[in-house]
Amino acid sequence: MEAIAQKIREAAKRLLSEGKVDVVIGYAKGTVPMREYPYFAYTPEEAENLTWSSFCCNNLALYTIRRPGRMAVVAQGCVSRNLVNLINENQFKRDDLYVIGVNSPGMVDRRKVQALFPGKTITEVIEEPEHLLVKGQGFEERLERKKVFRSNCLTCVQRNPVISDEMIGEVGPEGHGGNIDKVAAPWEKLVPAERWTEMQETLKDCIRCYACRDACPLCYCHVCFVDEAQPQWCGKTQDEADVATFHILRAFHCAGRCTDCGACESACPQGIKMRRLTSKIEKDIRALYGYRPGMEIGAQPPMSLFKPNDPQDFIK
Amino acid sequence: MFARRRFAVLKNLLEYVGIEPGRLHFSWISSAEAEKFQKTVAAVTEDVKALGPAQHMIKDIRKVA
Amino acid sequence: MSENAEFSPRIAAFLCNWCSYGAADLAGVSRLQYPPNIQVIRIPCTGRMSPKFILAAFRKGVDGVWVSG
Repeated sequence: MEAIAQKIREAAKRLLSEGKVDVVIGYAKGTVPMREYPYFAYTPEEAENLTWSSFCCNNLALYTIRRPGRMAVVAQGCVSRNLVNLINENQFKRDDLYVIGVNSPGMVDRRKVQALFPGKTITEVIEEPEHLLVKGQGFEERLERKKVFRSNCLTCVQRNPVISDEMIGEVGPEGHGGNIDKVAAPWEKLVPAERWTEMQETLKDCIRCYACRDACPLCYCHVCFVDEAQPQWCGKTQDEADVATFHILRAFHCAGRCTDCGACESACPQGIKMRRLTSKIEKDIRALYGYRPGMEIGAQPPMSLFKPNDPQDFIK
Repeated sequence: MFARRRFAVLKNLLEYVGIEPGRLHFSWISSAEAEKFQKTVAAVTEDVKALGPAQHMIKDIRKVA
Repeated sequence: MSENAEFSPRIAAFLCNWCSYGAADLAGVSRLQYPPNIQVIRIPCTGRMSPKFILAAFRKGVDGVWVSG
């Protein structure tokens, strides 16, 4: 990890001092453990702060939107897929982007780690190739990284960047062995009434802070539908109808675009599993139109395309 | 045609979260098919009637306030 | 409505101006009888139809939604 972080810093310094890019977007170490945050390095000195660890959960593609000038982005598989998405959606040109590609080791869910130490404060987490050494006052424990992965990293299909101008470290293996189809499967077995109860159970803690929307690199509309007041599509209360409307429409707006990067779940302060909705759509798009978002530049987004023989058995 | 893709995905999603399949209907009727229109209205009404009143997704201000 | 009366659903019908709205018109002209439960909303084309409309209809308390192109 540290070796890769060092290489990222070197690459960033080189790019900035040569004047190839105006900003390098990467991660910096958080003020508390397990909270790495997005960092913008504008000068070679600032590039010293860049880091790389198991807690780089934000999707950096978000910060390329509506940013003038040339930018370099530290990108693992999912971030690079979102960058491809944004290029396909004409948000910026490929030439304005320099991708510092990294093979994703699979990111760790800080909640899962914290849950193993209830009531204790973790003061330090040391990275080892397959383990995490978690330290706090009066305890020290070695965790297997795979056991505390974020759930979307377990079902990852693309760990290596799809596009990269420079690869840091080796091109690694793909996948972590999870099956994304299984995320939606438990609900699909239920009858409608039970599904509704399950969804209410999943969403009941939502406080409508829109952190999921703000962390999502797909949500770049100038005015989001939840902020529209006339007509008001979605009320601003925590009423079940409003919460459900928000989550259903948010998931639907990601149809054919969501790369399952997990930024929404990582950003949620309440730990809501909204991937249950988005992964269902991801699965449907794959089954109906054979499309995986963000895999190649120039691919047409499936929802702005049609074929005469599209499935239509739901139409009478 | 674009709408067809949109609603294929939306219908699946709404059924997935627990809206009964019979509540949401799509059909394709040309302006010359008055009889098909009549039959479809009857069928849709029948389906929704069988399901009874809607329970979910309703924002009832009287209940909330 | 009393408890014993038969349930009469409210259905929001989103009809395309050029297809089903015309069909509804023709059904009227031809004096075909159909259930009075649908409340017709004319849209310029089914392409205008947005998922927001469907959810908004459910929020307002309809029992069913019918989209017809």
